Amino acid sequence: MTALPPTLSGAVYDRGYRPYQGLRGGRREATAALWRLSVRRALGLRRSWRQKVFPWSLLAITTVPAIVNVGVGYAIRDDPFELPDFEFFTYREYVGVSTALLLFVALTAPDVVCPDRAQRVLPLLFARPLTGVDYVLAKVGAIATIVFGFAFLPHVVLFVGQMLVSDGALDYLTDNAAVLWQVPVSVALLALYYAAVGVAVSSLTDRRIVGGVAVLGLALVTSTVAAIITSTAGDDGSALAVVNVLALPLGVRDLVFLGHIGSDNGLSGVDGGGILAVGGYLVVLLSALALLFHRYREVDL
Amino acid sequence: MTYPAGATALAGLTVDIPAGSVGLVGANGAGKTTLFRLMLGLMQPTSGWLEVAGRSVAADPVGVRSRLGYMPEHDCLPLDQTASDIVATFGELAGLPPRAARQRASDVLDLAGLDEARFRPVGGFSTGMRQRTKLAQALVADPELVLLDEPTAGLDPVGREEMLDLVGRLAGFGISVLVATHLLDDVQRVCDHVVMIDNGHLVLAGPIDQLMQTIGLMRVEVGGRPGAVGALAEALGERGLGARAVDDHNLDVDTSGRDEAVFDLVRDTVVDLDLRLYSLSTRHRSLDDVFLQEAGR
Repeated sequence: MTALPPTLSGAVYDRGYRPYQGLRGGRREATAALWRLSVRRALGLRRSWRQKVFPWSLLAITTVPAIVNVGVGYAIRDDPFELPDFEFFTYREYVGVSTALLLFVALTAPDVVCPDRAQRVLPLLFARPLTGVDYVLAKVGAIATIVFGFAFLPHVVLFVGQMLVSDGALDYLTDNAAVLWQVPVSVALLALYYAAVGVAVSSLTDRRIVGGVAVLGLALVTSTVAAIITSTAGDDGSALAVVNVLALPLGVRDLVFLGHIGSDNGLSGVDGGGILAVGGYLVVLLSALALLFHRYREVDL
Repeated sequence: MTYPAGATALAGLTVDIPAGSVGLVGANGAGKTTLFRLMLGLMQPTSGWLEVAGRSVAADPVGVRSRLGYMPEHDCLPLDQTASDIVATFGELAGLPPRAARQRASDVLDLAGLDEARFRPVGGFSTGMRQRTKLAQALVADPELVLLDEPTAGLDPVGREEMLDLVGRLAGFGISVLVATHLLDDVQRVCDHVVMIDNGHLVLAGPIDQLMQTIGLMRVEVGGRPGAVGALAEALGERGLGARAVDDHNLDVDTSGRDEAVFDLVRDTVVDLDLRLYSLSTRHRSLDDVFLQEAGR
């Protein structure tokens, strides 16, 4: 019998339990982790392909107008008739591709908060170094981040595309320098608003479908009521149009771009329309956050 | 601890729970979950204070939670996620860096016996596998203390044995365990200490071995003449031993705090009374007996 060469000998190790001696974060790291996980969930990452279809389709949908705008601009750049620069829509108007964004919020906001309550995951979350405030900030922050990304990225495509197809890229850049701050600011305000409202409404129910319908219902009902009020008020508009929760961030957007309420807003023509828009925006935003902090101030085991 | 509605969940509970494996025993509604909530800093006591792992819960609830693991009794896992993702997620939420959390998740799932199933969604798991996943998420951040709420609830006998084995090993890893349960057999099997509460009040607390020793009983079977049991009980009483007749032939002698010489004393008393001694055996009460007696039920 031949002995095994030393290289073939081995040993079985019982790894047992190994204590953790590495880095250990606190509230900030836990909140960041919850934000990261919520972003991942909302985008369908590490989930089945069915969960990925909707968010990524919406990103594509919001980007299509920018691509069309740039494409048409490219097609007519050598126009012998010297047509004026093609502009399908303005940057200000593009911030208001709100239907797609609203649909996104209606689908994802319930998805990131309702299962935590329905599947009783909250006790596990709150047994970690997290507080109710951290939870709310992480969830609203996650939705706001994605809405910001989905609303901002098409603007980047539009701006870079328009710049490249224009007669002079540098001239285009200097002529449109203002949008470099107007777009991110107005998109950030829109994203924060939609996220806070969407998550707050969704936090009132355990069922995702109910949460989604409630978000859409809130937008539809208030915008319908505002439309009726505006149509009866005539050209002077009506201060009661402030009830349109969907249009409030667009009023704030108008202030960022134009310094006054745009003519396509229900508050157009109303004395102090800008103040009403900002006031309404803040009331709704702060109310949504207050509701969320109240809902998650404590949790039952 | 009094709830806003006026219900008092815990009252006058002063107890020092040592490191190691400790059972928190009480019937449903005794205040076990309230005590867990207080320990996790999820609610503040209306009076009094708590210290967990050397930290004041009132002063630093988040700091306390960062050193605790918690396994609830009820279902609490996202059913559409894999065990691996869930456990890694809760590692990250405990403050571990993502890579370390994933590595730790792999390790503790191995430990919990979910090595191959870890990449399957928890929705398809059996009750036993879900309990193990819950335990794994409680352990993933290497806590100083883990709070287990009814860890064997809903398990079949085999699953229960496996879970108890696992829980019994934790103290050896340097992790203190507080097991809330109403199953005294489970506590007797895996714990060194027990804290018994009833209706929010402390019933008894101490090392299980000591409790079993100090409340030991001796069962004595005698005969030889009518009234033998009564005569023996009276004679033992004169010699400082408490005794209680069970029936016409048996009596229980309280041997609390006595050493083995008590056997000789009982035997000699029987001989002095000229009775026949049929049997003499120690009888330790179970924790159930202790609880029922101490809770006055």
